[in-house]
Amino acid sequence: MTSYTLADLQAVDERCREIAVGELGLDVPEVIYHLVRPEEVYFAAANGLPARYSSARWGAQFDADYGRYQRGEGRVYELIFNTRPVHAYLMEGNSLVAQTLVIAHCLGHGYVFETNGWLGSVDRTIMPRVLSAAERIADYMAAHGRDRVEDFLDACHAIAVHQPQAQLVRNAAVSEPEHRPGRYDDLFPDEVAADRQRVAEERDALRRRFPREPQQDLLGFIEHHARALDDWQRDVMSIVHSEQSYFLPQMRTKILNEGAAVLAHQEICQRLFLPADQYWEYEQLNAGVVGAHAGRVNPYNLGINILREIMRIATEPDDEERDRWSWAGSVDPYEQVRSVLRTYDDEALLREFLTPKVCTLSRLYAFEHDQQDSRWIRVSSREADAIREVLIPQHATFGIPHIEIVDADYGGRGELLLEHRHESIGLDPEYARGTLTQVAMLWGKPCTVKTIQGRDTDAPIWFTGHPDGRSEQLTKQP
Amino acid sequence: MGVVGDAGLPQDSGRRDALHHRERLRKKITEQLKERIGEEDIIASGPEKRVRVPVKGTKRWQFILDRGERRGVGQGEGQPGDVLGPPGQGPASGEAGTEPGEELYEVWLDMDDVEELLFAELELPRLKPKPGADAEVTDAVYDDIARQGPQLDKRATLRENLLRNAKRGELRLGGIDKPDLRYLSYRERPKPWHKAVIFLAMDVSGSMDVDRKRLARLLFYWCVQFLRRRYTQTEIVFIAHTTEAREVTEHEFFNRVESGGTKVSSAFEAVAEIQRDRYPAEDWNVYVLHVSDGDNFAADNQRTLELITRLTEICALVGYLEVNPGGGGRHKLSRFYEQEAQDLDGFVFAGAEDDRELWPVLKQLFAKEGVVEAVR
Repeated sequence: MTSYTLADLQAVDERCREIAVGELGLDVPEVIYHLVRPEEVYFAAANGLPARYSSARWGAQFDADYGRYQRGEGRVYELIFNTRPVHAYLMEGNSLVAQTLVIAHCLGHGYVFETNGWLGSVDRTIMPRVLSAAERIADYMAAHGRDRVEDFLDACHAIAVHQPQAQLVRNAAVSEPEHRPGRYDDLFPDEVAADRQRVAEERDALRRRFPREPQQDLLGFIEHHARALDDWQRDVMSIVHSEQSYFLPQMRTKILNEGAAVLAHQEICQRLFLPADQYWEYEQLNAGVVGAHAGRVNPYNLGINILREIMRIATEPDDEERDRWSWAGSVDPYEQVRSVLRTYDDEALLREFLTPKVCTLSRLYAFEHDQQDSRWIRVSSREADAIREVLIPQHATFGIPHIEIVDADYGGRGELLLEHRHESIGLDPEYARGTLTQVAMLWGKPCTVKTIQGRDTDAPIWFTGHPDGRSEQLTKQP
Repeated sequence: MGVVGDAGLPQDSGRRDALHHRERLRKKITEQLKERIGEEDIIASGPEKRVRVPVKGTKRWQFILDRGERRGVGQGEGQPGDVLGPPGQGPASGEAGTEPGEELYEVWLDMDDVEELLFAELELPRLKPKPGADAEVTDAVYDDIARQGPQLDKRATLRENLLRNAKRGELRLGGIDKPDLRYLSYRERPKPWHKAVIFLAMDVSGSMDVDRKRLARLLFYWCVQFLRRRYTQTEIVFIAHTTEAREVTEHEFFNRVESGGTKVSSAFEAVAEIQRDRYPAEDWNVYVLHVSDGDNFAADNQRTLELITRLTEICALVGYLEVNPGGGGRHKLSRFYEQEAQDLDGFVFAGAEDDRELWPVLKQLFAKEGVVEAVR
């Protein structure tokens, strides 16, 4: 391994930034690099943010990832945080070429962090809050017992991702019941009176309904409306909730972000004119990053293939592409990519650019789980339409089922009723029941979710979890 | 994967949370071991072998879509119709919402670990120190302070220093010198000597079919493991009975097949006799554990209870487990005990219908806190 000094890294950073800003037109915010030991990289990676509160949850992640690293089964090269200035970790012991690739890669992330509209809502000054939260949670653990706080944290994390996403889901309008006057009403005064009575009752019930409108923010709603919570519990809920809101926008721009970072490191490293041996090492590293992952989608691979296709369409479109995109063949490819990076999220990116060509380039296939043994998968198609049909909805919600709180006084018993706004696929029964026991623990009373039984049948099914850990499923409304 | 210790963890970053995670995992493993103590791969593993324990209950709950119905997209080779291996695991990311939070650990444990995890919850109840002839064992107790010794006591030294300065009219610390030095010192104390003998009596009559014998031997197996590991000074006497009882070797106890009728009193007679001859109650903590299917010769029940009553006066505990796979049965010994011996202090009886009930029985027999409860 080549030895290098901090000054070498500084020189690399300066040169990379010159290329990024000057030649690629990426206005990258300030990035501060930290050269840290592997365990620190894995620690921060497991925690999601540096200096986050202590939890066995991160410990589990760390134990697994660091173990893999020690066994030589995987390696993290880089870790980056969307704060201002941006902070990135470089791992001690990586070669200068690897560090160069990472520095260039981070500049791509930096550009997306700074300019992408979907990431605009992220709190870039989250770190003081993270530190303060860590202190408070340590206090709670000291006061109420570590396990109790951990269990409570687990319950919060079970539903923390269910937060409203900008423009993702249209709320169903609440239609008020009304009596429709008919032509022969005067012939049936009793019936009409009964109907008016019914309507009045329904309106009344609707007015008493709480919440009035379905709530997408599960944890936030419970934090504000659960009765039997201590102050520390509400505080823990708000901590989990607000830290999660830092991660959600990154989840919805994963492919875009990784594509941008790969594009940046490829374009920058090409322009560094590395000596042959270093260039060879760079190529190997790059191939490792963008290689296809058997059995799942590597976001680096799909991201870079889509962005490269956009650049090709900008310069050498075929006739069909010329018809489809007004800018095809007539725009600076870097400018076109930059504009995509600024305005798209993964769903929009896939909807517009997951073309048959991209599917072929990334060697994508759609699969179904084997009927006999669901751990095995059966390739169902290599057609772009079939792939789009699966991949786009997945990225529209990044795999999180859309669940809303529809009644906070279910059955007049103060129970919580949730409803799964399904897209013809129901919830996993085991996980639904397990998760509901967690929700019930937070709410303090039984919690029920209504969903459907499966793809072949839209018959409803109800899962209920109780605060004591019991759970059940019912095919009739409980 | 090291679950019990800190194997493979760095000294600083990540260590605390990872250790805490392992501790939580260990608690879950213990819970699950308790349900699995009847399983062959644990029993048959022997002391050297390691056992595989899948740890349930470590899932990270989330609402996820029905996995059976879920379709997905992958990358790589394969034509429509090809069946491929399990889909790749997503990159482990603490915040990913796209993959279910499945965390099914499979942990390899040494038998040592297994026993350590389980037996931490058990103890011989009502164990009393007994003056034995060989009560020469001593313990070194570090609870003294001296001017000489192996280990410096900083606190005591500072106090001396403060005192010495104060005597000279200076209220300060400092100038620590030889006369200030104080060391931790130890004294030798006689260690309490808990001699104990446990009588394991098993019904080996014809009515004890394969399943019943298996349950009985499982319980005895764990008893023996527990005693050997935790109470090195304990003696174990094995007794097998049909209509007659006799002392047998450990090997015979666990392996011999016999047949014949049942007279439970014979076992307790044998216990009483051996105890009288070899283990006087002044010197020994005496425990008796009897396992049977409860299919006793009815006329013998009263005699049995008399013997048990007499034994409870000198024993720390008399226990009875009725093994009854599948349940049922009317003329059971347990029925008789229920009516006649409910309030007999020092006598515990319980029933077990399958493996999973063994742990509660062990827990009942070897309850910590010394609280003995009779449970139906």
